[in-house]
Amino acid sequence: MLFSIYHRAFTGANTLSTCIIRQCEKKDVSDQNETTTKDVKPEVEAKANDGGETQQQGDGKVEQVLSKPSQVKSDGAKSGKEGLLDLLGAMKVEVTNKRKLKNLKTKQSFETSAQYKSKPAAMESTISMFQKATVQASAKSDALDPDIVAAASAAAATLPNQSQAESELLKQLRQRKALTEAQKKGDINNLGDLIADMKVGKKPARQNAWPADQIRFDDDGQGYTHDRGITGELANIRKRRNVFPTKRLNIFSPTTDQQGAKPTLWDMDFANELSLSANQMPRNGFEEMIQWTKEGKLWQYPINNEIGLEDEASVPFHEHVFLEKHLEEGFPRQGPVRHFMELVVAGLSRNPYLTVQQKKEHISWFRDYFHQKKDVLSEADVDLS
Amino acid sequence: MGFSPHRNREAVLEALASTVHRDPTAYPYQFQDDSYLSPRTSAEFKLFSLSQESGRAAAKYFVNNNPKFFTKDFAEPHIPCLMPESVALRLEEVSEAALRERISLRKVSAAVEMYDQLLQSGTPVSMETTHEMLDLICVYCDRDPVQEGAPILEDGEGGDDTKRRKVRGRRGTDLKFSWKENNNAERIFQQLPERDSRCYSALIRGMVKHGVFSKAFNMYTELLNHRLTADVHVFNALISAAPDVREKFSERWDLITELLNQMSQQKVRPNLLTFNSVLKALRRCGFLAKSLAPQTLNEMKALGIAPSLATYDHVLAVFYKSASSGPNNTDILQDILTELEGTRFTCQDPDDVFFFSSAMRICLDSKDLELGYKVHQLVEVGENWRLLGDSYQQSIYYGRFFNLLCMMEHVDVVLRWYARIIPSLYYPNPQGMRDLLQALDTDSRLDLLPAIWKDIKTLGHDNKVDLVGELLSLMARDEHSAEVQESFAQCALDVKSAFDGRSSMEWTTPSLSHITTLMLRANKLQQAWEMLQLFKAQNRVPSEALMNSFLSACQSSGAPHRAVELVQLSAAFCLPATPGLAKRALAELELTEEQRSILSEFEAAAEEEQ
Repeated sequence: MLFSIYHRAFTGANTLSTCIIRQCEKKDVSDQNETTTKDVKPEVEAKANDGGETQQQGDGKVEQVLSKPSQVKSDGAKSGKEGLLDLLGAMKVEVTNKRKLKNLKTKQSFETSAQYKSKPAAMESTISMFQKATVQASAKSDALDPDIVAAASAAAATLPNQSQAESELLKQLRQRKALTEAQKKGDINNLGDLIADMKVGKKPARQNAWPADQIRFDDDGQGYTHDRGITGELANIRKRRNVFPTKRLNIFSPTTDQQGAKPTLWDMDFANELSLSANQMPRNGFEEMIQWTKEGKLWQYPINNEIGLEDEASVPFHEHVFLEKHLEEGFPRQGPVRHFMELVVAGLSRNPYLTVQQKKEHISWFRDYFHQKKDVLSEADVDLS
Repeated sequence: MGFSPHRNREAVLEALASTVHRDPTAYPYQFQDDSYLSPRTSAEFKLFSLSQESGRAAAKYFVNNNPKFFTKDFAEPHIPCLMPESVALRLEEVSEAALRERISLRKVSAAVEMYDQLLQSGTPVSMETTHEMLDLICVYCDRDPVQEGAPILEDGEGGDDTKRRKVRGRRGTDLKFSWKENNNAERIFQQLPERDSRCYSALIRGMVKHGVFSKAFNMYTELLNHRLTADVHVFNALISAAPDVREKFSERWDLITELLNQMSQQKVRPNLLTFNSVLKALRRCGFLAKSLAPQTLNEMKALGIAPSLATYDHVLAVFYKSASSGPNNTDILQDILTELEGTRFTCQDPDDVFFFSSAMRICLDSKDLELGYKVHQLVEVGENWRLLGDSYQQSIYYGRFFNLLCMMEHVDVVLRWYARIIPSLYYPNPQGMRDLLQALDTDSRLDLLPAIWKDIKTLGHDNKVDLVGELLSLMARDEHSAEVQESFAQCALDVKSAFDGRSSMEWTTPSLSHITTLMLRANKLQQAWEMLQLFKAQNRVPSEALMNSFLSACQSSGAPHRAVELVQLSAAFCLPATPGLAKRALAELELTEEQRSILSEFEAAAEEEQ
């Protein structure tokens, strides 16, 4: 959880944030003995480190950080919950140097040089940049590690679950740092913007843009801060985190019990409503042709001459042409009736518009007809053999 | 054959369609016929699209009602949708087949009549037909739906069936008829010897659809008493009706959870609409919603039901109240947009169309331009633009987007967007044009004002006195270079003719003054003089500053007679500035003796009064 914060901070390697420099400069101006929360904050939130200039300032940071240890040592001596808040206040300073955080996380005790060599491999590449920047500081910061760890474990020792408590404490510290940072930054932004916008005619609405840019503290306890400048990069990280807590109603269990039903009038009514609410108009001629094809008004592309005649494809041609076999039963073998029927069959065999079934029905209609008219035919002395 | 017919049926056309992008300089495709009939204002757009739809409906009506003229079918393969549909009843005898025919033709009253006749004659009606019968009556609330394209009778019974695509908000469900007590559905239902869950379902759904919610719940209780199982649609309807039968927020939620639990117990699988109904009901549960909506969302995901845009719209409504309640944290919207990035949506819920305009409202309220771009990016994925809804909903979305752009973006980008979305996607209302004017003012691009005036005229907003007044005041406020001043003067003359052409437009003193000032600045003394005459005609009084600047203009262009006339005019108005003007004129201008005497009279007259 903690490492994810740093990971986020370092993926945006290329963007240089001037806020670091601004923060550092501001810090130089302010009282050196003040709890220098702001100088360490950029390390957490920083998108990149510039190298030379900020390195020196990084040194400066650490020096101011160093001014704290004496206080920390004395506070570390306190035990029990009454000193807990003081410890938290003191711990703000050093904790966010990520090297130390990692140490705390791995729950090492006071040995320092061994600790920061034992980085997890995954962090190696992403923190290498920062390592170079703070390598000068490392020698001095070593001395702080035991104090921090001591302070943290002392604080955590008062709570039942020690390891969890340590991480909780660190999280809490980050949150509070974020809060102070946010308020700090808010002031800076407002002031700068006010000065910049002295131009006549500038809308006051523009000034309101900046507070929207402000890093705000999210009060649902997630503790991440929000910077618009690299939303794209942060967004990838933020994807991993749920916007909402994962609690659910727990009413349903994922079963696959589903019945398929015939579409009822209700379904048709609903479908009608859906089609009315969305915009279905075609945007160009091709989309209109697609709509027409779906409705059946237009031929399908690529053009297939045998569309609609798929059934016919399975009927062999000889059933269309050689229809004499239907004349074998029900009709006389000689005489005018036969002659007539042969002409009928000859005509049908050349008819491309009827299906085989229709031709058969045609012939059987004649069969029935001549059966019915048997007496008329016998009167006319037609040979019915 | 190498192609499988169903999958590749439209593949060629779809490939071709993907090569064509929207042309921002063209009107929507359905109007590309006669250039005279291109809609230039939003009123024209509505009118033309309604007339297209009504033309189609009228043609369909004519074909269906006169099938004897449309018998020839020489289309190969046969095209069923172009042939006349049977709309007239053919079966007249009292039989179940006749009843089914009436049901399929949606003739509600005829079906009820036939059903009663069948019962009277003692013929049993099958359960399936009874189900369909009840469905029919409940969907249409015991009224005959008006046939498409048919002339609507004077008693104004609008039908659910008429397709009114472009009329805002007129969906089938919006035309709510009230469910009468003991109407045919209830009567038939009570008469049934045995009622199964589908009968109950039809009744309950109909009652919820047409607004009698407590009755629906009573019917549901009856269903439970008979130990029947309701289906998912019944539950969806009841959940959506829950806020209407309980007053307190907690009671509403309790009722919803009770229904959901019953659903689970009866092993009825919920669907997307179930959860959307829950969220929609949560919108009316006040403070409870903030904790419960996320839980509902997670429940959905746990069951593998993908949320639709309506889901997210309800979530946004829960977390983002209106702008008046203070600045909001836009993190939730950010996260939603990140999650939805690149997703293609189809319309699965009629409320899907409200998502984009709600999201854009939030961006506008929090003045977050980048978030607005993100929303628009989602709109431009695939066919998501179709989920912007009908033209009214779309105009809301683009109105808010344009408002945000005008407020926050640099004017060059604003103008690029202006060219892209106006008027092909959006006809700005007067407020939208004012936002644009403000944006131009902020970035000092007032030289574009005459071009904007042309657009205002095309959009039909040249009769809006406020808008025109603001335009004029912006033009007249500062002095500009000679070319710009000249273009402003031309524009002002055009505005004047717009006023003159319309009797409904009232001249205001500021607009008269501004136009006069613009004339003076461009050295058009004659027109300026005409403007002053107009003051008199309209009973408005010009200001002292105006008169003084006129005098200066007279002096610089060497028109002393004009100055004298000016002083005379000023006296006619009984302006207190008259003596001052006279004095100035005497001092600064080269006047003839006669003019001098006239002027000194004015000067003297004033002094006498003092």
